[in-house]
Amino acid sequence: MSTRRFIVEPRGLASPWLKLLVPIGSVFAALVVGAIFLALTGENPFSVYKEMAEAGFGTTRSVAETLLTATPLILTGVAAAIAFKMLVWNIGGEGQFLIGAVFASGVAIWLGDGAPAYVALPVVIVAGGIGGAFWASVSAVPRVYLGTNEIITTLMLNFIAINFTNYLIFGSTSPWRDPEGATFPQGRPIPDGSRIPEFFERLDYGIFIAIALAVLAWYLLGKTRWGFQVRIAGDSADTARYAGIGVSNKILGVFLLSGAYAGFAGGLFVAGPVGALDPRSLILGLGFTGIIVAALARLNPLAIIPVAVLMAALLNSGPSLQSIGVPTATVTMLQGAILLFAVAGEFLIQNRIRRPDKSPNTAPSSGEEASPA
Amino acid sequence: MVDAANTETLAVELRNIDKSFYGVLANADVDFQLRHGEVHALLGENGAGKSTLCSILAGLYRPDSGEMFMDGEAAAFKSPKDALAAGVGMVYQHFRLVANLTVAENLALGHPDLGIRLDESRLQKEATELGERYGLGVDPSARIWQLSVGEQQRVEILKLLYRNAKVLILDEPTAVLTPQEAQALFKTMRQMAEEGRSVIFVSHKLHEVKQVSDRVTVLRGGRTVGGVDTADAEPRDLARMMVGRDLELPTRDPGAPPGEPVLSVTDLRVQSDRGLEAVRGMAFEVRAGEVVGISGVSGNGQRELAYGLVGLRTPTAGSVILGGNDVTSASVLQHIKQGIGYVPQSRLGMGLAPGLTTEENLALKAFRDPPYSKAGRLVQSAFRDEGAREIEEYDIRGVRPGLPIRLLSGGNLQKALVAREVELKPIVLIARSPTRGLDVGATEAVRNLILAERARGAGVLLISEDLDELLALSDRLLVIYEGEIVGRMPVEDASAERLGLLMAGQREEAPA
Repeated sequence: MSTRRFIVEPRGLASPWLKLLVPIGSVFAALVVGAIFLALTGENPFSVYKEMAEAGFGTTRSVAETLLTATPLILTGVAAAIAFKMLVWNIGGEGQFLIGAVFASGVAIWLGDGAPAYVALPVVIVAGGIGGAFWASVSAVPRVYLGTNEIITTLMLNFIAINFTNYLIFGSTSPWRDPEGATFPQGRPIPDGSRIPEFFERLDYGIFIAIALAVLAWYLLGKTRWGFQVRIAGDSADTARYAGIGVSNKILGVFLLSGAYAGFAGGLFVAGPVGALDPRSLILGLGFTGIIVAALARLNPLAIIPVAVLMAALLNSGPSLQSIGVPTATVTMLQGAILLFAVAGEFLIQNRIRRPDKSPNTAPSSGEEASPA
Repeated sequence: MVDAANTETLAVELRNIDKSFYGVLANADVDFQLRHGEVHALLGENGAGKSTLCSILAGLYRPDSGEMFMDGEAAAFKSPKDALAAGVGMVYQHFRLVANLTVAENLALGHPDLGIRLDESRLQKEATELGERYGLGVDPSARIWQLSVGEQQRVEILKLLYRNAKVLILDEPTAVLTPQEAQALFKTMRQMAEEGRSVIFVSHKLHEVKQVSDRVTVLRGGRTVGGVDTADAEPRDLARMMVGRDLELPTRDPGAPPGEPVLSVTDLRVQSDRGLEAVRGMAFEVRAGEVVGISGVSGNGQRELAYGLVGLRTPTAGSVILGGNDVTSASVLQHIKQGIGYVPQSRLGMGLAPGLTTEENLALKAFRDPPYSKAGRLVQSAFRDEGAREIEEYDIRGVRPGLPIRLLSGGNLQKALVAREVELKPIVLIARSPTRGLDVGATEAVRNLILAERARGAGVLLISEDLDELLALSDRLLVIYEGEIVGRMPVEDASAERLGLLMAGQREEAPA
């Protein structure tokens, strides 16, 4: 046996403190790395971070804006978490978000002013969910029945969705395009009856819908019979089959639900602050950012709510950086660093790293059979 | 024979080889002598240390202690590359081929004499010649993934011949072959031996050993039991050497006489993962209150039999009647509801959800109904209370709230798994090697649980490779070989010799 300086071994039960400490530490470590970069480019990191904090939470207006951005992030985060829990690697949140927005705005325009708000709003939001689930099904059905790789299909479908959304507004005279926007193409405003009312600055009631949906996801996965089967199948597909659980239809269900959540996000966003199928306001990478949110929240739907708020503040602080001469890309860099540290931190939750024992008689790892004979 | 070994130089000689893994001895004080130009069979049960010994010879493992000689000179291999350079090569049970490359390219891989540029046409020509000479015909331009398992094995052997190996180790080569393919392989082996190469043939099938080998070395429990000329060895002697002891029957409570049949299997046929027929027309009954043991060397259809009986794989023919209901092509869930319990061989791979808690795992099958769930909702208190009761009752130790079950010890894992199956009060309990790898205490606990099921009136089907376990628990024994039942007997009539012969393929029962 060679002598090793460190031993990595699976940790038994990670303490709740550790589970809280690691995500916080990830953000902190990312900020430290960001500070080094900022210092190297001649900026004062402290003043940059102060500017960002103020832009995110400094005024009542900025808090409202942060919560407004958090609304879709909560849902795209939950969308990623639901799928990842079952080892379904749906990274198509962006596309499902956009198709959800297309469906929701389409239904809203089709309904026009004819329906009262209490009918129109639920219909529009549900249409968003259906749109997202439909877009997910394009990947989910071949995954379940043909065994295709969903990472590739969901990723590719993002770009199709992005280009399709652009086409509806910039490339065609679709019903989504505003016929009166003669100078520059833009989305047709959706009728007021399908808009989510605002209650505080620009903040609308969508935030409560998003929180309620996150709680619903937590309940579905943790407290229902269906969720228990999903957790078993996600933990070990062979064990699930052994216990008589239909693994294929669980994968399909989880995949579609994940798409629906991303679609809800699109629906809430067009029915909320954007108010039209406007590619410039919709294609912001909210679906992709949801993956970071889910990872940082350790796939816990309830933890996603505060994490999404934090990430929204980070996103919103980007433009303000330009005013002090710092590139907006700083925000993207910090996001990437946070994801990297969160994933690395996950390793620390699962494993412990320690010095070798003095005594040589450590028990063998239980994973492998002792004798290969 | 001893004289002969001393006068001629041996191709390979191993002396006092020790090798342990994590404190478990796989080879202890093993001596082995291989002559030039012989086919030498290495015989032994699962876990007897055959593969370990071969891997040491092939440079994959290094012995903890002991000496190795090649052609009379001390040798030590640091890697399989070293060994191959010295002329020793091995065909592993799991092939080491690159699936996307052609046969010729696989032959060229790692060859020291070939330059950077591959002369594909020359290579293909050489491969064809080599193949024709040894009866190892395979298209050199075919890609590995296009080949059958038998053909892939030929490529593995060609690889060694292409490197001009003098000592070829074939680790259970016939396990993946049809009888016809096996016969062709034996011809190739004989031809290599006639050219002066030495072939080590690992097997636990007596008739094959008898047919193809010149000499036999028997391993048991990691030690060499003896070496004999094949011509002098009776199959029954080899069987006894392999199994080791005249088995002692434990005195056990005869129990109430068995009742009605609860499981009736007729002409059952089930395919393997590769689509070959692995269970080939089995017929048997299990009655209420009896334990029927299925004995056999692993890989003779045990897995497929179990899968076919619990609904994990739909049989291609035959019927399975469980408690009066035909469940031949029923789903796993229907099997569970009709009263089948199943203790699979792999605890964490199939029987338990490793990342879920003990309480959740105890409810892995019963969660669909009250008290665990009501109207689609889980009842947390039922998980907690029922879990606590079973943990107490079945003495499952090391459980803490929220702790994933994978962190329990093997014995406690198995107690939890068996407890869950027993709690469902199955009509038929199927258990595969339920005490494999357990310590004495846990073994006792699991055996008692199984005997308690028998006493309760369940029919138990015990599928195991462990004769001690089979003899301790079974009322009747069936022996399977290559997917067929080749013998059946009350446990009182079982002897090491008889079981050993049957397990090695000497049938007592006419083919189905």
